[in-house]
Amino acid sequence: MSILTYIIGWPLAAALALVFVPRNYRVVIRAVALLATFVSAALAVKMFIQFPGAPAGPDHYRFEAFVPWAASLGIQYHVGVDGINAGLVLMSAIVAFAATCVAWEIRDREKEFYILLLIMAGGVLGAFASLDIFFFYLFHEFALIPTFIMIGVWGRGGRKNYATYQITIYLSLGSLLALLGLIALYLEAGAASFDIPVLVRHLREQPLGAGAQGLIFPLLLFGFGILVSLWPFHTWAPLGYASAPSPTAMLHAGALKKFGLYGLLRIALPMMPEAARSWAGILAWLCLGNLLYCGWVAMRQKDFNWVAGYSSVAHMGFVFLGIASLNLIGVTGAVVVMVAHGFLAALVFGLNGFVYQQTGTLEIRELGGLLRRLPFIGAAMVMAAFAGCGLPGFANFAGEITVFFGAWKPLRVVAILGCWGALVVGAVYLLRAIRGVLQGPLPGKWSVLTDAAGWWRKLPFALLLASLLVFGFFPRLLTDRIARDVAASVLNLPPAPDHAPVETAQGRR
Amino acid sequence: MALDEILLWTLLFLPLLAAAIITLFTSRRRRLSAGISIAAVVLSFLLALVVFAGFQADQPREYALNWLSLGDFAVQFGIRLDSLSMLMLLVVTGVAAVIHVYSWGYLAGDPGFSRFFTGLSLFTFSMLGIVAANNFIQLFICWELVGCSSYLLIGFWYDRPAAADAGLKAFVTTRIGDFGFLLGILTVWAALGSLNFAALQERALAQPGLITTAAGLLIFCGAAGKSAQFPLHVWLPDAMEGPTPVSALIHAATMVAAGVYMLCRVLFLLNAPALQVIAWVGAFTALLTAIIATQQNDIKRILAYSTLSQLGYMVLAVGLGGATPAMFHLTTHAFFKALLFLGAGSVILALHHEQDIWKMGGLRQKLPVTFWTFLAGTLALAGVWPLSGFFSKDSILALAAERNHALLALALLTALLTSFYMFRLVLVVFFTNHRSAAAGRAVETPPVMVIPLRLLAIPTVAAGFLGIEYFVARQFEPQAAARLSAWGQLVFPFQHAPLAALSGLAAAGLGFLAAYQLYAGAKKEPLESRLGAFGRAVQNRFYFDELYAATVIRAHEFLARAADWMDRWLIAGLGVRGTHGTTELLGRALRLFQTGNVQTYAFLFALGLAVVLWLALR
Repeated sequence: MSILTYIIGWPLAAALALVFVPRNYRVVIRAVALLATFVSAALAVKMFIQFPGAPAGPDHYRFEAFVPWAASLGIQYHVGVDGINAGLVLMSAIVAFAATCVAWEIRDREKEFYILLLIMAGGVLGAFASLDIFFFYLFHEFALIPTFIMIGVWGRGGRKNYATYQITIYLSLGSLLALLGLIALYLEAGAASFDIPVLVRHLREQPLGAGAQGLIFPLLLFGFGILVSLWPFHTWAPLGYASAPSPTAMLHAGALKKFGLYGLLRIALPMMPEAARSWAGILAWLCLGNLLYCGWVAMRQKDFNWVAGYSSVAHMGFVFLGIASLNLIGVTGAVVVMVAHGFLAALVFGLNGFVYQQTGTLEIRELGGLLRRLPFIGAAMVMAAFAGCGLPGFANFAGEITVFFGAWKPLRVVAILGCWGALVVGAVYLLRAIRGVLQGPLPGKWSVLTDAAGWWRKLPFALLLASLLVFGFFPRLLTDRIARDVAASVLNLPPAPDHAPVETAQGRR
Repeated sequence: MALDEILLWTLLFLPLLAAAIITLFTSRRRRLSAGISIAAVVLSFLLALVVFAGFQADQPREYALNWLSLGDFAVQFGIRLDSLSMLMLLVVTGVAAVIHVYSWGYLAGDPGFSRFFTGLSLFTFSMLGIVAANNFIQLFICWELVGCSSYLLIGFWYDRPAAADAGLKAFVTTRIGDFGFLLGILTVWAALGSLNFAALQERALAQPGLITTAAGLLIFCGAAGKSAQFPLHVWLPDAMEGPTPVSALIHAATMVAAGVYMLCRVLFLLNAPALQVIAWVGAFTALLTAIIATQQNDIKRILAYSTLSQLGYMVLAVGLGGATPAMFHLTTHAFFKALLFLGAGSVILALHHEQDIWKMGGLRQKLPVTFWTFLAGTLALAGVWPLSGFFSKDSILALAAERNHALLALALLTALLTSFYMFRLVLVVFFTNHRSAAAGRAVETPPVMVIPLRLLAIPTVAAGFLGIEYFVARQFEPQAAARLSAWGQLVFPFQHAPLAALSGLAAAGLGFLAAYQLYAGAKKEPLESRLGAFGRAVQNRFYFDELYAATVIRAHEFLARAADWMDRWLIAGLGVRGTHGTTELLGRALRLFQTGNVQTYAFLFALGLAVVLWLALR
């Protein structure tokens, strides 16, 4: 059986097992959840390391597994990774483990919380590993529904209920649009299969007509776009993340949110290349809504979690810009940003949750000088802010600069304005927030705060930071894996002469 | 791998390794942390000397790793060793090593001791990365990293609001410059198809025209941000909120000079119109900030404005096409300005963190070593023969005399003002009698701080006739470069361009006389009452901060406000809530028709029947 099945299976099996554990065995519940996500993350690391040497199938996918399910509809359990989702699976598994680590903040109905969290983790991993549209979508819903419940039950702040309603309706609407698009795509393609590689191959031989593409592509673009907080469908995100318990915010903002982007890359772009080209310009201008406009809005936020929320929305602009540039450099950069932002968003929301646990507020005006009391957490926050404003050394920089180089030739004006958003606006709102929260004199009432004590409390944050640094220093760990598959399976480019593996794969056909 | 290559990689990464070790393992053990940091930089300096011993100027070498490679976006992380980078490697590691040692004394007892040395090590690594860079992206990466370490070290005392604000201002202002810089890099890449300096140099010659000018000016934006040229000069004086060793290393000797270094590195990309702009910006900055320096009262701010002015000088030299004079002045300036800052730090520490020069006075006898070394720095900065500053400044004046007389006039005026404000500083701080109790009780600082002063005084005096100019000139003007004996160098300015040399000396002399006239024995600022409104404008730095607050910052605040309003009321309000509200209203309206009340249904039925009948029978 494929290693991917284990990566997905451990959290889901643990969720099932927890159902049978009595609720007062809190240590056992937590231990099971931690063990399952840890094993899943360790396996994901192993998968990522073994990836280059693993045998690739005819469509470049590795670690594939098939289980027939509803053969009459062409649905089967089919998992596999190529360069595009290998990094996403790795990132999601690490984020899931980190989120489970910080779930110590939940003190109420722990059993249910851990079960939901594990289901969500399994769902995210399943969505990224699946190569069958049906399972791809099913796993996503698996992850999405627990999100709503967790915000509704364990959420925080006065606007929790409104946040729950809004995020539920908004994201359900997005998924529904995407579902309509996917079903239409299945019917129009006429391949009687939900299998992504089969569909891609089929649609390359018999492309959809311009009319069908023009109808289905916007459904996917906006359906998936809503899920990723594409401007102007972004207002659910800051409110939702400010109200969510931190493990949920980490897993959603970090991992699950990338589902929509992944869907665009895996399904919309390769299957409807003509529509993608005609929508790219519009997408590019919309992404400025994320990069610039949401950056400006972030400048005005008074609550640190809202700054983080808007910053996370703003960062999605890089991915959209990379996708809209529709070339090897831009799309590869977009995937790097997806992975990097996953680690970063999880880190930020985890750290904010740590502070919120003790202060009960993240109003910037109320805070200040916390670095004196929280040297570790504060230092991690400063590093996260630097990663957020694109400082080299962190993975985000590698992705963002690649996106700008990709976008420079096809989308110059947007790239220029996006650079301003990235370099200046991003630095202003993040460092201003740091100035307000960590620097300056420490108000007397916060002199009782305690820093993360012991390696156990530091582990999730250290792990996420280390991941950002590793990919920031050695971006080729990602780009070498990503680029070849972006060329072959997303953009359908002729193989580059210096990419030997593509040639051999091409030769085999 | 050649021995040379191993040495270079080691000297580059040692400081980073030190920063990592301190952060991960030794941050609780203060002395050990400082020791690791100092050992790393001293070792780097020694390795640089070893590399220098085997250095051959006519064979530039390049070692590189592949950092990222996607189609025609190929980025290396490499080391390019030529005269330019060899000189900078020596300057950076040498000055950094001295300042690291000095910091041990200056920050003794500070709770953030380990954090400080982490920052210094990180900075040293990033600065060396800029120096060694063989391509634009590596340069940009390290460029951002020095900005980050500068931010962290300016805000080292983060609970002081002024320090935290200054760090933020420095980072954001330089980021505005970097915005242009990145666009410039993108333009160059799109036009010439490479990011590697060597490859660009081969292709650049064939590219005339507007796009080259634009690229050159955009790249200059980056230099203007980092080297604090007008109009982005406002961050550097505020950066003096950082500890004094930081001001000496980052904001005087090395990082702020990175802009000049970068311009020299890519001089081949700058065409005549771009150079013209660069020259005028440099000259204007030099004069403007020299004027401001004459009326400042904070010892570090005077030196900061002086740094701005001298950076303007270097940029002017680049603009005149003279990479050699620019690099020569950069080198001597690194020595004497670091010396001046460390001397100022010694004064500040001896007076228990007093920085107002009017509360000092009479420190000549109390701080003898500080006084003599500071005087050496002052003479060098003022351009007095035979100290180092004279030669480097003269090489710029000679170039201006040859190419543009208007710029020469500005440069000479700046030289006069430089001499004036520096002697004002020396006369007020070290002469007459003490004007505060703290100044009366001051005693010389410990050897760990005094020895670095003595060490820096050596190149401050001697760097003018050690052949630095020849060393750089071999790269930029290989035909014209001539090796001179030490004596030959001492008299060279008077033979080569006697007018420039003599007028430079005259400017320094006039400046000294004016300062002596006004400040010998002065108890308070004598010019304040005489200059009136102009004096106030100078004291308030020509209101640049206020101007920016009223324009750029307010404009962005307005945009942010507008975006926030739109988000709150139009998108989240009208859009989302509106959809939500409409749906709900619709639901309520529809509910009216489904009350379950038989009479209502009967009434509606009757009404409907009546309407249908009326329509049918009409």
